[in-house]
Amino acid sequence: MSALEAVSIHPVAGESLTGEAYRDAMHRWLHANLPASFRSDSAAFAPPTLPQSVAWEAAMYRAGLTGITWPQAYGGHGRSLREHLIANQEIGRLAMPESVNSIGKELAGPIILAVGTEEQKRRFLPAILEMRNIWCQGFSEPEAGSDLAGLRTRATQTADGWRINGQKIWTSGAYRSQRCLVLARTGPLEDRHRGLAMFAVPLDAKGVRVRTIKSIDGRESFCEVFFDEVEVAQADAIGAPDEGWAAAIRVLEIERATNRMYRAWRFENELRHLIAACKADPALSGMVADGHYAVRLGEVAVEIEVLKAHVETAVEALASGDKIGARGSLAKLYWSESHQRFAALALELLSQASLPQHPAIKVARRRFESIYLQARAETIYAGTTEIQLGIIADRILQLSRGK
Amino acid sequence: MSMAEALQPDEFAATAARAVTACAGLDLRAQAQNLAGDGLLGIVADEEAGGLALSIGFAVPVIAAAHAGLLAFPLLETMLVGRLLQSSLPRLAAAIVSGRTLATIAWQGEAVAEREGGVLVLSGSLARAPGAASVDYILVRMSGGAAALIPTDAEGVLVEDAAGLDLTVPEHTVRLETVEVQIGSVMPAGTWDLLNSDANVLRAAAILGSAEACLSLAQEHASTRRQFGHALSYNQAIRHALARQKLGLESIRHAITRSLSGDGGPVQRDAAFLAAATYGSAISEGALQIYGGMGFTWDVPVHRHLRRIRTLQAQGDASGLIATFGRRYVSEVAPFAEAGA
Repeated sequence: MSALEAVSIHPVAGESLTGEAYRDAMHRWLHANLPASFRSDSAAFAPPTLPQSVAWEAAMYRAGLTGITWPQAYGGHGRSLREHLIANQEIGRLAMPESVNSIGKELAGPIILAVGTEEQKRRFLPAILEMRNIWCQGFSEPEAGSDLAGLRTRATQTADGWRINGQKIWTSGAYRSQRCLVLARTGPLEDRHRGLAMFAVPLDAKGVRVRTIKSIDGRESFCEVFFDEVEVAQADAIGAPDEGWAAAIRVLEIERATNRMYRAWRFENELRHLIAACKADPALSGMVADGHYAVRLGEVAVEIEVLKAHVETAVEALASGDKIGARGSLAKLYWSESHQRFAALALELLSQASLPQHPAIKVARRRFESIYLQARAETIYAGTTEIQLGIIADRILQLSRGK
Repeated sequence: MSMAEALQPDEFAATAARAVTACAGLDLRAQAQNLAGDGLLGIVADEEAGGLALSIGFAVPVIAAAHAGLLAFPLLETMLVGRLLQSSLPRLAAAIVSGRTLATIAWQGEAVAEREGGVLVLSGSLARAPGAASVDYILVRMSGGAAALIPTDAEGVLVEDAAGLDLTVPEHTVRLETVEVQIGSVMPAGTWDLLNSDANVLRAAAILGSAEACLSLAQEHASTRRQFGHALSYNQAIRHALARQKLGLESIRHAITRSLSGDGGPVQRDAAFLAAATYGSAISEGALQIYGGMGFTWDVPVHRHLRRIRTLQAQGDASGLIATFGRRYVSEVAPFAEAGA
C-alpha cells in the first residue's frame, strides 16, 4: 500500500472540533500522514507527481484540512475562519508541497460561492475539494497584465451561450487544469471595467489550446491559453455579465488577505530549516550563532512575527464581521518583500558552507535555491508590488490625485 | 465589573489626547496633577495604590496618544514605576499614581551595590533617564536584573543634562557616588527584565503614536503642497513612499496587538518593539523627506517625533536587543539531523 492509499481514512472531518482540539487533531493527522518524500526539508524529498499531489490534497480534504469554511451543502466543512487559520498554521509548519489547485480552492471556489448559481455551486465546489477538477485563472493577457481593465479577450453572446475568442497568459497550471476561470469582455474596450464577465471554461472544449512557458526555475508551470471560437454554455457563465467582475473584486480583496494563510508559518519553517542546516555545518554553525548573521536572522524572525500579526489581525477583523477592504494588500506586500530578502540571505549563508558538503547543506541548498528563484515571482503575481502600493495609496490612504 | 473594566482600551485614547492638550506649557508637577486627575498615571497600578488595575493593553492607546501629542512628561516611566512599587512601597506607589511624587527610570547602565550593615551603597554611571532633573525618584538597574529606587535628593546623586535628541522629555545622566539606599527600596533579581518587557510594548506604542502623527503630517503636506502644477501626492514616487510608510505603521500596530493577545509572550513583545524601532524611524525620516526643505526646519514638528523615536529606540537598546533576539532564536533550533541526511 502506498503512503497515500493509507491516508484515505476520514478521522475528524465530521467531528465538531473547534479551537485547540481541532488544532491537535489536524497536527496529529498531518504528522502521521505526510510522506517524508513530500517534505522539502527531508533528504528523502522527491517532488510529488501530479497524481500524487491530487491524491494528497484529496486526502487533506477528507481529513478536514481544505474547504474548511465552505458550507457543508457544497462539500465544505462549515467551520469558522479561526479554524481555517489554525489549519493553515499547522500546514505551514511542515515543508509540504504547494497545492496544485489553489486557484480552485482560493479563487474560483470563493467567487462561485459569492456570485454563482445554486446549480454551479453544487456542480463545481465539491469537485474542487475532491480534486476532481483543477482550476486555473485566466485573467492576465499579453496586453493586460496588471491593468485588467484593458483586457481584450471577447465573449460574444450566442443563441444558447457564449463564444470566446482571445488569449490569456501567465496562466499557472493551465496544462494540468480541467477548468479555467476566464475574464472576458462583453462590451467595447472603452468600457474598461464595465462589461467584463467571468466564465468557467472547460479546457477540453474545442478551440482551446494550452502552451506551457518555461520559467526561470526551469519548470513549465505557467502557460498561454488560446481561445479560438470556443463555445461556452450559459450554465458556465459565472455571475451576471455586468455584476460578475464587481463581485469578484470584493472576493479578491478577501482572498488577498486570506489565501495561502499558512505563509507566515511556512516562512518560519524555512527559517528554522535554514538555521538547522547551518548548525550542522562546521563553518556556518559559528557564523549563525553570533554577530552579523545572528542579527540578520533575528531581523527575519521579527518580520515573521509581524507577518503573523498581519494575518491574525485580518482574521480577527473578518471573524468579527469587519470589512477587510484593501488591507489584504498590506499583508501581501509585506510577505512578498520579506520573503525575497530572506531567500537571498539563505543563499548567501549556504554559499559559505564547508567542504566536503554536509548532507544537511545539500538538502537545504536544493530547497533554498528553488525558493530564491520562486520568490522573484512573489512580488509580481497576485498584483505586483507597485500595484499593491497603488492600492494602499488610493484606497487606504485615499491620497488626492491633486490635479 | 468596575467602571474601568467596562471600558475599552481605545476609549482611553480620547481621554489621553484631551489630557495632553491640557498639559501644554505646564511644568512637570502640574502635568502630573492633570494626568493623575484623569486616571492616566495609574492605569496599570492596583486599586490599593489608587490605580485602575487594568492590563498593559489599556496603557497602549494612552501612551500612543501622549506621544502623538508630544506630551512633555515621562508617562511610560511613571506608569511602570507606580505599578512596580505597589507591593513593596505602597505609599510611594500611591504618591506616584496621584501625581504628588515624580519618578523616572534610567534605562542605560547598571549600579554596583555593596552592602554596609542594613543599607546598600550604590555607585555607578547611568544614563537615558528622561526628565530626571525634575523628578523625586529614579529607578536604576542593578546587577542580576535587580532594581533600586533612588531619591534624587540623596547624598551622592548627581543628575546632569546629557546630549540627546529628544527635546520633549530630555534625557539626563545620573551619577551615583556611594549612595546609601534602604534595603526596602531594592526590587529583587529579575525585576528589570519583567519591567523592560512591558516597557518594550509601551515603547512600541509610543513610537506608533509618533509615527502616526508623522504620517498624518506627511499625508496632509503631500495633499496640499503644489509643485509642477499638481499636489505632491499626484506623483507616484510620493504615493508609493507614503504607502510604504502606511505599511510600516500598520505593521507596528498589528505587532503590538499580537504581543498583547493570548499568543503574546516575551518574544512577541520584543518583536513589537523591534518592528516599531525599525519602521518608526523609517516613517519619521520619510515624512521629513516628503516635507522637503520645510522638513528640515525647526517649526515643522516632524523632527520632534523623529528625535523621540530615535531616543526610544536607544532607551530600549534596539541594536543590542536584535542581536540577543537573533542569538536566542538560533540557539533554540537544533542542528539538522535526519536519518540518511
